[in-house]
Amino acid sequence: MLEPLLGSKSSEKVLIFIEALGEGYPREIARFFGIGLTPVQKQMDKLELGGILVSFVKGKTRMYSFNPRYVFLAELKGILNKALNFYPPEEKEKLLLNRRRPRRRGKGL
Amino acid sequence: MKNIKRMTQAELAAFVQSHLQTKGIRVVLSGGAAVAIYTKGRYVSADIDLVDVSFVNRKKFIDAMNEIGFHEKNRYFIHPDTKHIIEFPPGPLSIGDEPVRKINEIKYSTGSLRVISETDCVKDRLAAYYYWDDQQSLEQAVLVAKYNQINLSEIVSWSETTGNMIKFKKFQNKLSLLTSE
Repeated sequence: MLEPLLGSKSSEKVLIFIEALGEGYPREIARFFGIGLTPVQKQMDKLELGGILVSFVKGKTRMYSFNPRYVFLAELKGILNKALNFYPPEEKEKLLLNRRRPRRRGKGL
Repeated sequence: MKNIKRMTQAELAAFVQSHLQTKGIRVVLSGGAAVAIYTKGRYVSADIDLVDVSFVNRKKFIDAMNEIGFHEKNRYFIHPDTKHIIEFPPGPLSIGDEPVRKINEIKYSTGSLRVISETDCVKDRLAAYYYWDDQQSLEQAVLVAKYNQINLSEIVSWSETTGNMIKFKKFQNKLSLLTSE
């Protein structure tokens, strides 16, 4: 949907995922959308270099989120939110309901 | 010309900036190196962040930096004769939603250095404290504010607009404690 604007499908998926969930890491995003890990990693790298995303190490995982200092962040988020409204309902629901609350180790999912 | 090995951080930043200028690339010093300059070495940083304000492609940076002996490693530029690491964060030069308008120019024997103003330097550090609760950035903001003439009312109104008055008060308290010492 935003591919003509953002230049690639992976870039759109990364940004939509982070907009919906606040943060994410490449393998998780690639798995969620069923797309290749390499293009996702490449786009996240590019978005970080461009100052749109920032990353922090959490445990053994490098997590990415929006850079609050990115000057066009409010406008970008506005576009992403609008695009999210046009996503297929099942994909949108899956994204927004993706579990982020704590779950005790050993407990079935 | 002084050898890179003997250049201070500010001299090196001025040297790189002046070289880039001859290639049509304009950059402005921000981040920790600006703090080091405004605190006269009370804060030390190995990084030199030169914000790209001419929006050129990466290849142009790589070519220009290679000419003066720097090479790219993990997005940064390094040189065998210096411990300083150079990075080119993307523009526009801004703090929060606001464009940075005032730029100071400092002359060194190695070239001319364009650097964000003292007040913007404080705001830049405070932004990191406001967004990520980074205590080191708070300490740096306090140091710059202590040793320079800054526009405090501009910082107050910016903090108000961004909803960070509680954190601003903490900055103000730390600053008064330090200035009363």
